[in-house]
Amino acid sequence: MVTLNVNGVRHEVQASGDTPLLYVLRNDLQLIGPQFGCGLAQCGACSVLVDGKESRSCVTSISDVANHEIVTLEGLPARWAKQKGLSAEQANNTLHPVQQAWIEEQTPQCGFCQNGMMIKATELLESNPNPSLAQIKDAFTNSGPSPNLCRCGTYLAIIQAVQNAATIMAKGR
Amino acid sequence: MATMSERPANSVGPTLSRRQFVKAGGALFVTFGLVGPQVLKGATEKATALKNTLDPTLGSSWIEIHADNTVLIRTGKSDFGQGSTFTAYRQIVAEELSVPFDAITTVIAGHTDRTPDGSGAFDFLGHGTPNIRKAAAYTYQALLDLGSEKLKVPKDKLSVEDGVISGGGKSISYGDLVKNQELKLTIPVKGDLTSIFGLTIDGDPPMKPVSQYKIIGKSFKNSVTSSKVAAKETWATDVRLPGMLHARIVHPKTLGSTLISAGKVDKAKFPNSQVIVKGNLVGVVAPNEWEAIQAADQVAADTKWTAWKGLPGNAKLYKHLREEADWTTTPVQKSDASKGDVGPVLASATKKHSATYQLSYMKHAPIGPTMALADVKSDGMVHIYTHNQNLQALRGEIAMMLGTTPDHVIVHSYPGPGHYGRSNGGNAGAEDEAVLLSQAVGKPVRVQWMRADDMQWSTQAAAAYSDVQIALDDKGKMAAYQIDHYMPAMQDDRPIGAVLAGLPTMPAPQVKSDSVTSTVNGIEDPWVYKPVANVIENGHGTFQVGQKDSPLAVGLRDHSMRTPGQFQQNYPRELAISEAAALAGVDAIQFRIDHLSEERAIGVLKAVQDASGWDTRPSPRRDAAATGSDPLRGRGVSLMLRSGTYWACTCHIAVTPSTGKVVVEKYTIAVDPGIIVNPAQLKRQVEGGAVMGVSHALFEEVMFDESGITTDDWTSYPIPTMADVPEIKVVLINNPKVGAYGGGSEAANALAAPAIAAALQDATGKVMRRLPMKPAYVLEFLKT
Repeated sequence: MVTLNVNGVRHEVQASGDTPLLYVLRNDLQLIGPQFGCGLAQCGACSVLVDGKESRSCVTSISDVANHEIVTLEGLPARWAKQKGLSAEQANNTLHPVQQAWIEEQTPQCGFCQNGMMIKATELLESNPNPSLAQIKDAFTNSGPSPNLCRCGTYLAIIQAVQNAATIMAKGR
Repeated sequence: MATMSERPANSVGPTLSRRQFVKAGGALFVTFGLVGPQVLKGATEKATALKNTLDPTLGSSWIEIHADNTVLIRTGKSDFGQGSTFTAYRQIVAEELSVPFDAITTVIAGHTDRTPDGSGAFDFLGHGTPNIRKAAAYTYQALLDLGSEKLKVPKDKLSVEDGVISGGGKSISYGDLVKNQELKLTIPVKGDLTSIFGLTIDGDPPMKPVSQYKIIGKSFKNSVTSSKVAAKETWATDVRLPGMLHARIVHPKTLGSTLISAGKVDKAKFPNSQVIVKGNLVGVVAPNEWEAIQAADQVAADTKWTAWKGLPGNAKLYKHLREEADWTTTPVQKSDASKGDVGPVLASATKKHSATYQLSYMKHAPIGPTMALADVKSDGMVHIYTHNQNLQALRGEIAMMLGTTPDHVIVHSYPGPGHYGRSNGGNAGAEDEAVLLSQAVGKPVRVQWMRADDMQWSTQAAAAYSDVQIALDDKGKMAAYQIDHYMPAMQDDRPIGAVLAGLPTMPAPQVKSDSVTSTVNGIEDPWVYKPVANVIENGHGTFQVGQKDSPLAVGLRDHSMRTPGQFQQNYPRELAISEAAALAGVDAIQFRIDHLSEERAIGVLKAVQDASGWDTRPSPRRDAAATGSDPLRGRGVSLMLRSGTYWACTCHIAVTPSTGKVVVEKYTIAVDPGIIVNPAQLKRQVEGGAVMGVSHALFEEVMFDESGITTDDWTSYPIPTMADVPEIKVVLINNPKVGAYGGGSEAANALAAPAIAAALQDATGKVMRRLPMKPAYVLEFLKT
């Protein structure tokens, strides 16, 4: 039994400690934001935040993240609401600025990789609220275990969405 | 090969009658029912006879108008990231019906029991008249007829705005018009539901004049984006059924290995796992996914396969294709554009370009490996839950595999990772395997391929080479052009699990085929340089590499990939045209314009010329060099006509001779599709295609040895990262006078390669006629 803290909720998970977090999130906790892309930490489709850092759930054993703060795509709105001190009602009716920007910019095509892209964007903007183009490219290419890959080639739309999200966050809405 | 541009000859109109409304499920909707004998062609009658299939001749199978003025539409085409079903299709229907965009509240796409027409996730705009547009046009006429009767105003005195019919001082909404009655309208349909092209609506209903468009041309957002971004969409990967088992496949050791003995599960470690063997198909199932993965690894290590070495290996691929492949069995295809007398002009030319161009195999490489969940019920009904580009074709293939009829198969459609053509012919890989495993264990089974399965056992975009000869006259104009394209069969629609299990499938690609799975290599790249007097374009076809030698009849299986066939033909043509321009000493854009008569083609070239800051001059640049450790700059251009849309792009590159690294710094692309349906969505599609094009040009090559594919992950099969993305400029040219919409999701991925290669020539003075232009190859090439 492993205790996981995911999106602010504690779960006692009946799985062996070496189970990759991805399978527990998807099959046991019904958290479907993270996707299986490679199982090798080479693409980023499965990314989650562990203590605020983008991590690849496909190669992260649950025993390694027991009692750490895990946030999936589903948990981004609440994370933003908490950071901004929004009321419960406001929190229920909001998306994270990154998600808002992803919609405004119409970023996804197939959308399969975008979970990881939004997780990476959140990590970046929490540490650098106004990143330059070079810093955005660096974050998505060099900061994680591998570059975050998109086969549809939406990188330009991702860059524009990160910039848009930075604007939304600066306004604090 | 059948094409989507064939226009129906039949123009049987709709018939309309009505009777008292029948309440169905509490929803009020217009129903169009079949009345009387109809003139139907092809397999429509077969399709309508199937159970678990919508009747495609019924209007309500396509479009429902509800009493609350909302509209539901259905299409057999599933979304693969183009977004057309959720944007363009809603716009087209809203336009033809004259209802607001938001009135179309529901889009049902793909599901075989809930959509009427089948066909693949390609050519969404159907050369300007997709099925859904005709369905809407027929429906509109029927509504006008009803309105005329109700308002007692002649049809030609009626007008419609926002779903309200007005005339003679009276008006009625569509909702009120259809309330409490069942309309009976027959729509003429032809085709074969479970073929790659599905059904086509026949006839020529009146369409709204382009000059009256209010909705087409606006940038509506994709309605599915918000649910995907908020993790509220159910993806194929998310579907779970009670009692479901997880499965992994132990694929053969090589592309020609047969099974000697399957490994046994170590029950001490994996107590709930089970091995399923059917012919050469080996699967491992377990209730827990992580156990299934680990048990499959353990079983794979203990499974014995025969050895096989029937492939040339990628280092000898070109030699194999040139010297060993059989190009004589398959008839040569000469293009319709071929004309004049090429031979004597080439023979007597003083200035002549003659060269060979080579393309590697490439993977579709979806960002998520293929998966499917299948549930074979005890009564023989088969349910498949998956992400697939042609669910009706898959349905037909599964029925064939099981020796049953398609009405026993229902395929449910969900979003998934785009795979750019791989399942247009019906399967991506895991669907049939899931069915066979579910049948074996009597429970729902979810097959998820791992990254290596997807890289090594899926189909690929066919390798190819082309020989080009161009003669210039004394004015530097092209007097003769001959191209000979050589490519193995590019579409193998056999489900791999069925092949491994030894169950019935359609034949491997052969010369004679009633589908597109033929070895015949048709001319896919329409000729645009019409003023050239003497032209020959030949397509030479052969069997897939290794297919005939493999005991599994597998080999390197190919499948159409984004801009299929045309990529392989446009790259050699456009690079050769740039070389001819250099030979003539004329700027590459000007040289093209000098050989064009079509204003739209000239228009896209001028657009990229202006937008890219193109410096008009001959290539190579005067200071071109092939040595040194400083980056050298160059620029190149390419042109394409695809599905009624004109495209041009320029690439500005930097190449460092000492490393061989090519970087695209600026990518400019212009597209004239005729009427632009949704500018913002088109722009995003073009940007994505541009990045994929850079990827094809610089990164992608399937590596294989004598036994199988050796590229098995993102390290051995790299694609671009965000850092590789150039400055991208997209110029959209709205051209309403064309009167039709052209497609925008293909072509962009093919344009980069010849433009980058021409830019490399511009920078270095040397022409690399081989893809991909990855550093090791460029370095080696520049040394020669």
